[in-house]
Amino acid sequence: MLWKIAWRNLWRNKRRSVIILVSVVVGMVAMMLTDALYTGMIRQVLTNQVSLEVGHIQIHRKGFHDNPSIKLLIERPDEVEAVIRQHPEVLHHARRVLTYGILSSSYNSSGVNIVSVEPEAERQITLISKSIVQGRYLKGEAHEVLIGEGLARKLEVSLGDKVVAMASRLDGSIGSDVFRIVGIYRTFDSEHDKVTMYIPLETAQHMLGLGDAVSEFVLMVKDVRQVDAVRDSLRNQLPPIYETLSYRDVLPLLVYQSEAMAQWMMIYYVIIGIALVFGIVNTMLMAVFERMQEIGVLKAIGMPNRKVLAMILLESTILGLLGTVIGIGVGMLIYWPLSHSGLNLSVFSESLASFGVGAVIYPVMDLRILLSAGVSIPIVALVGAIYPAIKAVRFEPVEAMRYI
Amino acid sequence: MEIIRTEKLEKVYQDNSVPVHALKGIDLSISAGEFTVIAGPSGSGKTTLLNLIGALDKPTAGKVYLEGEDLSAKSKGQLANIRLNKIGFIFQAYNLIPVLTALENIEFTMMLRGIPEKERRRRALALMEELGIAELANKRPTEMSGGQQQRVAVARAIVNDPTIVLADEPTANLDSVTGSRLLDLMERMNREHNITFVFSSHDPKVIERGRRLLWLRDGLIEKEDVRDAAPSEG
Amino acid sequence: MRLLLRMAWRNVWRNKRRSIITIAAVTFAVMLAVVMRGMQLGTYEKNIEQVVRLSSGYLQVQRPGYQENPTLRRSFVYDSTLQRILKSETRINGFSPRIYADALLSKRDNSFGAMLVGIDPENENLVSDFSKRVRRGRFIKPGLRYEVVVGEKLLQNLGVDLGDSVVVLTQGFDGFLRDAFCTIVGVVKTGSSELDRAAVFLPIKAAQDLLGMDGRVSVVAISLYRLSDLEKVKRHLQERLKPLNLKVLTWGEVMPSFKQSIEFDNVGGLLFLAILVVVVAFGILNTMLMAVTERFREFGVVLALGMPQMRLVVLVLYEILMILVIGLAAGNLLGGSVNWYILKHPIYMGKQLEELYSQFGFLPYMWSTLRWQIFLNNSLTILLVALVASAYPLWKVYRLEPLKGIRYT
Repeated sequence: MLWKIAWRNLWRNKRRSVIILVSVVVGMVAMMLTDALYTGMIRQVLTNQVSLEVGHIQIHRKGFHDNPSIKLLIERPDEVEAVIRQHPEVLHHARRVLTYGILSSSYNSSGVNIVSVEPEAERQITLISKSIVQGRYLKGEAHEVLIGEGLARKLEVSLGDKVVAMASRLDGSIGSDVFRIVGIYRTFDSEHDKVTMYIPLETAQHMLGLGDAVSEFVLMVKDVRQVDAVRDSLRNQLPPIYETLSYRDVLPLLVYQSEAMAQWMMIYYVIIGIALVFGIVNTMLMAVFERMQEIGVLKAIGMPNRKVLAMILLESTILGLLGTVIGIGVGMLIYWPLSHSGLNLSVFSESLASFGVGAVIYPVMDLRILLSAGVSIPIVALVGAIYPAIKAVRFEPVEAMRYI
Repeated sequence: MEIIRTEKLEKVYQDNSVPVHALKGIDLSISAGEFTVIAGPSGSGKTTLLNLIGALDKPTAGKVYLEGEDLSAKSKGQLANIRLNKIGFIFQAYNLIPVLTALENIEFTMMLRGIPEKERRRRALALMEELGIAELANKRPTEMSGGQQQRVAVARAIVNDPTIVLADEPTANLDSVTGSRLLDLMERMNREHNITFVFSSHDPKVIERGRRLLWLRDGLIEKEDVRDAAPSEG
Repeated sequence: MRLLLRMAWRNVWRNKRRSIITIAAVTFAVMLAVVMRGMQLGTYEKNIEQVVRLSSGYLQVQRPGYQENPTLRRSFVYDSTLQRILKSETRINGFSPRIYADALLSKRDNSFGAMLVGIDPENENLVSDFSKRVRRGRFIKPGLRYEVVVGEKLLQNLGVDLGDSVVVLTQGFDGFLRDAFCTIVGVVKTGSSELDRAAVFLPIKAAQDLLGMDGRVSVVAISLYRLSDLEKVKRHLQERLKPLNLKVLTWGEVMPSFKQSIEFDNVGGLLFLAILVVVVAFGILNTMLMAVTERFREFGVVLALGMPQMRLVVLVLYEILMILVIGLAAGNLLGGSVNWYILKHPIYMGKQLEELYSQFGFLPYMWSTLRWQIFLNNSLTILLVALVASAYPLWKVYRLEPLKGIRYT
C-alpha cells in the first residue's frame, strides 16, 4: 500500500521526477561505459601480452626471469616435459630459446630479441603465426627468419633478403649465422615488432652451441582461472632448480594497473554518487515542503511518524530503482554494439600500440561494473532522501509557510 | 474625457478544450474621474473584461481603446509598457512582492520607469504618509495584515499617476470593516486626486459604493446604473 | 538596477536550505575539478621534466627521417654553424651532441645487448642528469678515451665491476663490424630500468672513432629554461635550421608513446570531470526550475504591473549567477588550498608503485600545481554548462504570460 502511494506521489510532478531520472541515467550510463572501456582496455593489454609472447605459464631455470642470460638453461627439457604432461589442465606447451643479439643487414644493424621456437607448437601458444603480413610463417627449415615490420623497416630489408644474426654462444664466443627473411609480421605492439625476430629452435641450438637445452617452456592452460593452481602444482612437482611463473608474475605492472584502475573507479562512482545526492536532496525537500499540509493531515488521522518517514524514503528509493533499471537498459543498449565493433581510439594509436593494444578498444561489461552502478544508485537515492524525510516528520507548520 | 472605449468586445477561451464565451459583445465607455463597479455574479465575465481593459489580455473580437489608442494592435512589449505607465492594478491577493518591503514595493514600478532613487523614495514616502501607512515602510508583506497589504497595493497602484486603476475584487479576502476602510481610502483618492477607479466585484458592499454600475450577466451588459449622490460612509 | 540586484539576492536567500545545497553542489564540483586537474597536470609536469632529463631532452635536432628510422646513416655533421645558431637562442639552457648505436657488450664468455650513448660530458650536464646518477666510480671525461659508464643492471648481468675491461661490438657507419676494448670507470643508477639495463655511456669522440663517424652525431639534445617555451623555441629554431636540412622535434615527437600516454590519462580525467559537471548541471536545472515555477504567481503579478519580460528574465539570471559565483569562489578557494598543500607535501604512492614505475623512470609521487589556467578553465566550463542547464527555466520565465502566471496552480 505504501509502495502504491509512494509511486503515485512521484508522478505528481512529472517534470521534476523525469529530470532526476535523466540525471541519474546519464550519470550512470556514462560511468558504466567509461568503466567498461577502461576495463576492456586493461584486459586487452593483458590478453594481448599473453597471446603475443608471455603465455599463461612459463618455466625456466631459476633466476632466468631476473637475468635472462644464455647460461641459465633448462638442460634436461625432457624431465620438465614429463611433469608438464602429467597435468591435463595444460592445453598446449612449447619450447623456446631466448637470447639477445644483433641483427645486421647491409644497411644497418639493430639489437634484437631472438625468439627461437618450435613452429607448430608455438602456433598453438601465440598469435605470431596469424600476424604474417608478407611471406609465410616458419616451417622449421634452417636459416629461415621471421621479423617484425618495424625491424624490417629499420634494417631496410624486405622479403627474401639475407641478414646476419649474432649472439653470444654458451661457451662465450660469438656465434653468428646467415638467415633469409621468409616472412614479415605485424602485431598490435609496435615496440615488440621493432626488436623481435623468430627462428626455428634447432637453428638456435646449433648456432649457440646449446645441444638439447632450451631457455623456456611456455604453457597455455584450459581455464585461465586455474592458472595459479596449475602453476603451484607444477612448481611443487619440479625440482628446485627451476622457476615456474604465471603471466601475472611476469607482468606485475599490468596486473597492478588493472587492480588500481578498479579501485579508482570505485572512488569515481562515489564522487558521482555524491553529486547526484545534492540534486536528490533538494528535489525531495521540495516534494516534502509543498505537501506539508497533506502530511499534516496524514499525521492528524493517525499515520505514525515512522510510516511518514518510510513513505518519503520509499519515493526516493523507487526513483533510484527505476533509474537503475533504465540506466542498465540504456547502458547495455549502447554497450552491445560497441562490444562487437570496438571503439576506435586511433588518435592515441602510438601510445596504445606501445601499451600493447590496438587502436580499437573493446569495452567489457564486468559484473563488478553492473553491481557497482546498480547498487550505488538506489543507495544514493535513499541517502538523499534521509534529510528531507526527517524534516517531513518533524516540521512545524509555521516554518513551512515562510517558504512560500 | 473618455479614457476607455470598447467596441463589440468578445472573448472566448478554452477550458479543457471546451470553448467558453466569456464576453459576447461589450460596448462601453469610461471617462476620467469615474468610480465605477463592474458588477455581476461569478462567471459573468467581470474579471475577463477587466483584464482586457487593463491590456493584460487580447480580445477574440472587437476593440479596446485606451486614450484613443487601439490596444489590439499593440505587441506584448508595448502592452507591458502601457501597463507600466498608464494602468494601476490591485489584485484580490498576492499583490506584493514578498522579498521587498512596503516602501520598496511602492518604489518598484518607479524603478522600472527609470525614476532615480532619491525621487522615488520621496514620492513613495509622501504617498505613504498621505495614505496613513508610513509606519509600514520597512515591513515585509509577511509582517503585515491583509488589510495593510491591500493599502500598500493601493499606494503602489497610484504612485505613477496612472490613467486608470483597475481593482479585481480587492476586498474579497478582507473582513467587512477592513474592506470598508479600504474602499474609503480609494474613494478619497478618487475625490482628491481625480484618479479613475474601475472595480470588478460581486460583493454588495462594494457595489453600493460605486457611482456608476455596469451589470454584467453571461458576457453581456445587462444594465447600467448611475448615481449622482455622493458616497456615504460605510 | 540596484533594486533588481537586491531583489535577486533576497530571492536567493528566500529558501536558505535549497540555495545552500545548490551552492554546495557547485562548490563540490569545482573543488573536485581543481584538485583533480591540479594533481594530473602537476604530476605530468614533474614526470615530463624527470623523463626528458634522463632521455630525450626537451627538444632534439635530427636529420629528417631519423626519428622513423634511427640509423647511423641518418646522422649529420655537428658543425660550427649549427652550434652558433643554437648558442644564439636565448631560451636554450644548454645543448649537447649525442650518438646512439646498438651494440653487444661482452666480457669473456658473457655478452649482453646494450645501447651505446656517445656524449660530451661537459655539455651533457646542462641537458641531462646522467652524471648525477653515478653510483660508484666517476662519470666519463671528455676526449678520445675508451672508457665507459654502464647501467647498474647491465653491470650485474654481465658480471663485471669497476675497472674491468669489456669488449664493445657494433656495426660502424660504413656497415662493417667494429670492436673495441673499453674500461668501466663508473656505474649509474638512473631509476629507469630500461636505461640501467642497457646504457653504455662513452665519450662522443670515442664513439665517433669507433663507429667511423668523423664529426657526425645522431642528435643534438636541447634543454630549455622553461618547459612552457617549448613550442616557441621549436618554431623559431625550425626556421633557422631548415636550410641545413635539419629538423627540430619536441620531446613529445621523440617519445610519442610517452606523450600519448600522458594525453590518454589527461583525456580520461577530463572525461570524468565532464560526467561530474553534467550531473551537477542537472541538479541546478531541477532546482532552478522549481525555484521558478513556485513563483509563477508572483511573476504574473509583476508582469501585469508592466515589468518588461526581459527584465524579469534578467532578475532570475542574476539569482542563478549569484549562486554560481558563490559556489565557484568557494570551490576554487578550497581546491586551491588543497593543491597548495599537496604541492608542499607530495603524495607518496607506495612501495609497490615505486618499483613498478621505475621501469619508466616515473616518480612514485603525486604533485599538484597552482597554475591559474586550471582555475580559470574549470570555472569557465562549469559556469557555461550551468548556464546552459539554466536555459530551460529561463526560457519558461521568458514565455510566461501575466495572466497564466497569476492563475498558476
